Amino acid sequence: MNIDLELDARGLNCPLPILRAKKSIAQLASGQVLKVIATDPGSVKDIESFCKQTGNELMESGDENGEFVFLLKKH
Amino acid sequence: MPRRLKANERRASILAVAKVLFADKGYNGVAVDEIARRLGVSPAVLYQHFPSKEALYDEVLSYACAERESYIDAALKGPDDFGSVLERMALVFAEKLASDSDYLRMEMQAALEDAPAAQQFFENRWKSFADFIEYSIKELAQQGQLGHINPRIASLMYQGMLREALYSKLILKSERFKQFSLPDLIKLMTSLFLNAIDFHPQT
Repeated sequence: MNIDLELDARGLNCPLPILRAKKSIAQLASGQVLKVIATDPGSVKDIESFCKQTGNELMESGDENGEFVFLLKKH
Repeated sequence: MPRRLKANERRASILAVAKVLFADKGYNGVAVDEIARRLGVSPAVLYQHFPSKEALYDEVLSYACAERESYIDAALKGPDDFGSVLERMALVFAEKLASDSDYLRMEMQAALEDAPAAQQFFENRWKSFADFIEYSIKELAQQGQLGHINPRIASLMYQGMLREALYSKLILKSERFKQFSLPDLIKLMTSLFLNAIDFHPQT
């Protein structure tokens, strides 16, 4: 899997991971992939809602060692 | 004859009544007998679900302090400059607390009693504001859109203003601010804060 940009949102509470994701994804071209790493448990629902509202695709969502990792493909 | 509540329903009803009483009078001001009387049951029923008043209080607090707001709409619906998002976040938060001010009272009680939950209230409630303000001010300063401002102190200033507005309107119901609705108060206060840090959104 090719990751085009990575966003480290560890330690940040809502809404910062979403606002950072919005800015990061704006830098990508259609079809490129953004990886987001977050620690806020609320980010799981928030990233899902973000993708629904913005039309971007949530390709993967998982957690490991208290961190949440998301792969978003720009529409 | 009224239907007997299932165990989980009974537990939930105990927590709901206990929350109102603890929020109003604090841990020491509420007796188990009073909670039982409000519920129309004997104290023995309460002890079937919670071994002690302390255990019940801890559970009420842990529910109250675990509540988190989602600011996704505040973040995405509307202009995305710092001031606009901050105002929308504060409005979401205030609306939630206005719908149930017991949460705010529980937070005050937890702070007075030096309960471990006091820190959780910060982590789950106020840290969103602290993070957002600090991070945004640092970023705006790097971009040359803000002068030299201590982000942590600015964040404390805003949280202090917001907390005071919430106390005045929801707890004290102060006559001094009667002519302002809570949303109006938050809008004016946010505007004053943005002027104080000399923030003007770029058009």
